[in-house]
Amino acid sequence: MSRPSVKKSLSICFAGFLLFPAIISSPVFAEGNSAPAASEAGKALYIDKCAHCHGVEGAGDGSAADNLVPRPRDFTSGLYKIRSTESGNLPTDQDLFEVISNGMPGSSMPAWEGLLNEDERWSLVAQIKTYFEGFEGALPRVIDLSGKVPYSEESIAKGKEFYAQLGCVECHGVLGRGDGTSAPDLTDEWGFRTWPANMEHSWNYRGGSTTEDIFKRFIGGIAGSPMPAFVSSFRVGLTDAEAERIIALEDKDEMTEEEEAEYTELEEKAYEYEDLMLRIEEGDEITPEEQKKLDVAMKPIFEKSWHLANYVKSLGSEGRPPAAVGDKVLRSQYRLGELPGLNDAAWGEIEDTSYFPLVGQVIIEPRQFNPSLDSVTAKSFYNDNEVAFLFSWDDRTRTLPQQNDETGETVEDAIAIQFPVKVPTSPLDPKPYFIWGDRRLPVYLWHWKVSEANRITEMNAKGIGKVSVQASQNQIETEAVYEDGRYRLWTKRALRTDDKNDLKFEPGVFIPIAFSAWDGSNGDVNTKRAISSWYTFVLDPVPSNRRFVYPPVVALISVGVLFGLRGSVRRRESANST
Amino acid sequence: MNKRLSLFTRCLILFLLVWLFLRFFIGGVWSVPLPASVIAMYVVLILLAILVHVSVEDDRFREFLRPIKETLIDDDKKIRRIALGTLIPLVLLGFTFSKVSTKADPPAALRTAHPAPPAELKYGDKVIGLTQEVENPFRHLEKDDKEAFKAHAENGRRVYYQNCFYCHGDDLDGEGHFAHGLNPLPANFQDPGIIPNFQESFFFWRISKGGPGLPPAATPWDSAMPVWEDHLTEEEIWDVIIFLSEYTGYKPRTFGEADH
Repeated sequence: MSRPSVKKSLSICFAGFLLFPAIISSPVFAEGNSAPAASEAGKALYIDKCAHCHGVEGAGDGSAADNLVPRPRDFTSGLYKIRSTESGNLPTDQDLFEVISNGMPGSSMPAWEGLLNEDERWSLVAQIKTYFEGFEGALPRVIDLSGKVPYSEESIAKGKEFYAQLGCVECHGVLGRGDGTSAPDLTDEWGFRTWPANMEHSWNYRGGSTTEDIFKRFIGGIAGSPMPAFVSSFRVGLTDAEAERIIALEDKDEMTEEEEAEYTELEEKAYEYEDLMLRIEEGDEITPEEQKKLDVAMKPIFEKSWHLANYVKSLGSEGRPPAAVGDKVLRSQYRLGELPGLNDAAWGEIEDTSYFPLVGQVIIEPRQFNPSLDSVTAKSFYNDNEVAFLFSWDDRTRTLPQQNDETGETVEDAIAIQFPVKVPTSPLDPKPYFIWGDRRLPVYLWHWKVSEANRITEMNAKGIGKVSVQASQNQIETEAVYEDGRYRLWTKRALRTDDKNDLKFEPGVFIPIAFSAWDGSNGDVNTKRAISSWYTFVLDPVPSNRRFVYPPVVALISVGVLFGLRGSVRRRESANST
Repeated sequence: MNKRLSLFTRCLILFLLVWLFLRFFIGGVWSVPLPASVIAMYVVLILLAILVHVSVEDDRFREFLRPIKETLIDDDKKIRRIALGTLIPLVLLGFTFSKVSTKADPPAALRTAHPAPPAELKYGDKVIGLTQEVENPFRHLEKDDKEAFKAHAENGRRVYYQNCFYCHGDDLDGEGHFAHGLNPLPANFQDPGIIPNFQESFFFWRISKGGPGLPPAATPWDSAMPVWEDHLTEEEIWDVIIFLSEYTGYKPRTFGEADH
């Protein structure tokens, strides 16, 4: 039987191509691979500034490495995530220089621009290259950015379609919050857990968040991570219809003779391009005609990538939102009558969402050096009797109670909202310690966990390990949902309760608030969690009716004073003149 | 009629110029906005100065008041009288309205960043006096045994990058990747006002006792500085102090220097 063998060999060829780096477009070779020669000074600088993470020999095994996610780059591997070059290529010197200068947001790699001068940063580029032999004589193929599709609603809409078609959803989730079905199981080249990007938190993109940055990640892939080079999702040289046809034919149990002929023809057509790309990969010369043919075939793929880049760009924001301090403080808004429930459109009336950044709890053992939760946001309404909150936070996985593989502990997703029991009345008044209070000043906690999604447990704490669940639980109405990588938690409590261990909510009083959050899939449990500093919130006082009384009174008095003044001056003048 | 501007107008112009200077020139052109309370203080001062100046002589005071009187009663100043008589109450109306209906500002944080250390601290079973000359036990190696000193600095580097850099930053500049979520911000050791101003024993106190060891004026409840005696050995703390000064090139103050 010849048919299956042809099909098989072509499939193997195709699979082989997938394993090989993908290729592309007219060769644009890196210009200005201009790092200076490696120097003693560069080495000394590397040892002083880089070696504690990246290791003395560049193997990514410095003394800090074990506590970092993502781990520091292993320069001996030659695998670089952030490149302007095609898949399978090394980065250009300029790429290395830019990563050193700009750092990698969302990781522990800082921006060295401003800390080291240009020559120093270039000397580091040269030093880093010494750890991988492949840099010698390498001419990486740079991704062609010339076909950029301008940012427009139309392009975004097209990109959105491709996002769904191309399987981005599997890792990055329907709305791009990094909550796809395979998100919990992703590992990098070295077997370490890795997270798909949350595209709304674009301030954490390691390689920058411009449309060009995003486009380069699509075309070049993120080496060493599960993010593939985009081109591997396509059958280069085939139209969409032809590619779909091949898949349809492959899925058939048996093909008719015509179908078999059609299949072979299509595979041969695709093979022509795959062969070309393999030859480029192996460093063979190809003719200008062949290059032109490949360029034509690549054009629609590049165009789709630009649309997709525009779409992904549209999901993000310009930088990290400002934290809820100063004029961004959480203000609970007064509302007549019933307070809105979890899915009430009324929440949309509050334009500003207060943003509370979370960081790792690295103070009390066991510590969390690599929190997976970025922040909590909150909105609030109150009326004469009750206060309602809507908290939300992005978590890529919904983790119901389960055993953690490493520690054996039972972990699950949870959050605690923390208030002092006694609200400080002046800035000099002490507050409880920001992580669960202390001996003298206890905190009042609302503890929620995913396994009891419609219940808040009221607790008091006088420090970590000194937590007590309140004997009499108030009726705190609670409702929570997890949708598209985001928890939304709604709570409602009476403003005043009889329990002296509860916080009383008084309008106009600034009340400290802080958060702890646990991502079960990140091994968070007990002290291992993400935390926030103390922030404040206030039940915004109802605008007082005094504002319609005082101003007219003041104006009337001033008119009176002016008349009085005029009268007295007049009397005196007439007395003087007589 | 006198061509010169009246005394009142000149005083008014002077007053407005001073206010504009404080409010807009310093804030805008020099871009160091003054707090409203400071501006108010200067404005009251200049107002008092003007009043003193015009009231020392009777004639001058009469001259100063003349335009006010005229505006109040003269028949030919009727338009000005009506205009000002309407404008002044209206301005007051608007001002009071805006004052009564603005939202309350969150309380300002009052905090002593670098409080005085206590007289002594307990480290395990040991009592370490901080007011006497407590020196870094490894500092003398800088002269006596350069290799051993270097080893301590290297150990301090390891301790720093395994524990401290999350907040205090890769370059010791207080810009670690957790810094954005902290208030107060982590100390910046590259700031020339930090290391040279304190003795090594001060750093030992701040590191070993962390946020909770601060006096109330320094808001110990807000500080995310861990109590490092729970995680590190005494030697590791002294080593990390050596690393801080070796990396930044700043020398901590010694007890020999004048106490200012």
